[in-house]
Amino acid sequence: MATVTGVSGSAAAALWRPVPTGEDAVAAAERAALGTSARVVVWPPGNLKAACAAADEVLGVLDRQASRFRWDSELSAVHRSGGGLFLLSDGLAEAVGVALAAARWTRGLADPTVGGALIGLGYDRDFAAISPEPGGPPDEPVPAPGWYRVRLDGPLLRLPAGTQLDLGATAKGVGADRAVRAAMAVAGPSGGVLVSLGGDIAVGGIAPLGGWPVTVAERPDGNDAPGSQLLRLTGGAVATSSVTCRRWRRGGRELHHIVDPRTGLPADGPWRTVSAAAQTCADANAAATAAIVAGTRAEGWLAAAGVPARLVGHDGQVRRLGGWPAADGQPLPVTRGSHVYAWGRR
Amino acid sequence: MDADHDDPGGRLPLAEFENSYSAERPVARRDGIRHARRMSNWTAAALIVGTGAAAVALAHQAVPAAPPATGTAVSAAGAAPPGAGAAAPGTAAPQVGHSVATTSGSGVTTTTRTVNGKTVVTRIAPARGDD
Repeated sequence: MATVTGVSGSAAAALWRPVPTGEDAVAAAERAALGTSARVVVWPPGNLKAACAAADEVLGVLDRQASRFRWDSELSAVHRSGGGLFLLSDGLAEAVGVALAAARWTRGLADPTVGGALIGLGYDRDFAAISPEPGGPPDEPVPAPGWYRVRLDGPLLRLPAGTQLDLGATAKGVGADRAVRAAMAVAGPSGGVLVSLGGDIAVGGIAPLGGWPVTVAERPDGNDAPGSQLLRLTGGAVATSSVTCRRWRRGGRELHHIVDPRTGLPADGPWRTVSAAAQTCADANAAATAAIVAGTRAEGWLAAAGVPARLVGHDGQVRRLGGWPAADGQPLPVTRGSHVYAWGRR
Repeated sequence: MDADHDDPGGRLPLAEFENSYSAERPVARRDGIRHARRMSNWTAAALIVGTGAAAVALAHQAVPAAPPATGTAVSAAGAAPPGAGAAAPGTAAPQVGHSVATTSGSGVTTTTRTVNGKTVVTRIAPARGDD
């Protein structure tokens, strides 16, 4: 198997596989990370090794901080303590802070306290480890305790007893944002970087002329026409949440991973896939997830929040909001500012 | 200091003017001070206006005039990375035509479909097992 050689001279190098893009001016590589796949695309191509190494570093750290599937993660240690007051690392404090800010911004639609509900539904381990075979019935649904009961003051976290955090609505976005920043820091002032983490994409530096060409789809292979669209990302980020993937069966019921915190059950609104664009990937990630949960109120919330978005209904109908382009090849609009990072909150 | 000496306004008069203190001198001095203050105010105003204009000019150079929605690159994350957005001399952004990434449902590792009434689970797992 071909590998990206020279990434820190470590075993991590072997995990990055070159990805043919059909373009000589850019180079791309992909590896598994955070229970999903990470892709790094750069120009000039000579920056790939350094960018992959930088992405490795930050994604590895984020996994050790925020994964609820790793026994040895910082978040798992917090959960094992059963609630109380904790002094978090800066990285986990930022990740939790972003999740809480996203909950505040989305009025609880993207709530990080859905961890217990997800576990009750059977999503209690890395998704790839969940048996595809139908299991026993899920537990009785457990509504989320509520993000507002969690207190974070700098690195000090107060977690109510029994509350389990799931940072899934923002963590991939945080990871993509961090990876882009780290890659640009090592790549230097010239060139550009794109990082995709499980389909949530952030870019930094200088975009190729007209923007990075990205496919907006429901499935990662992009073969879901007529649902897919080719657009250009000139800056910022785009993220997609979908109930068509990460599905499993329990007790004769088909479940998915986007949980409505009000019910503790998988969201059952009219939209099956939502893509959103924002300046940061964490913002886009949170907005897309919130729109799925919002159901019939998604359009109103997205419009009020000023988030460009593309919604695909269960009937396949596509709705575009906030200046989302209708035609292929157009640049994605990105609204400046952040609702979830401390630097952007107003 | 000579205790008998009348000290006008806290200042010691120069010797040649010692005897010329009269009713007009304080008036003239007050006029001069007023004039100086007026000039200082104008100078301060000019400085403020100039500084503001310079700041606006610099901001226009630092922030693209067009919003990101029209295709201007912005930093992907909070703090802009060092040098991000500033091309090195002689560097030209390439033209890229093919899609280089896909935004989609989060990192599909399996997908479930119903075919002829039966549940079919397909593992896509783009990079499963490598980590």
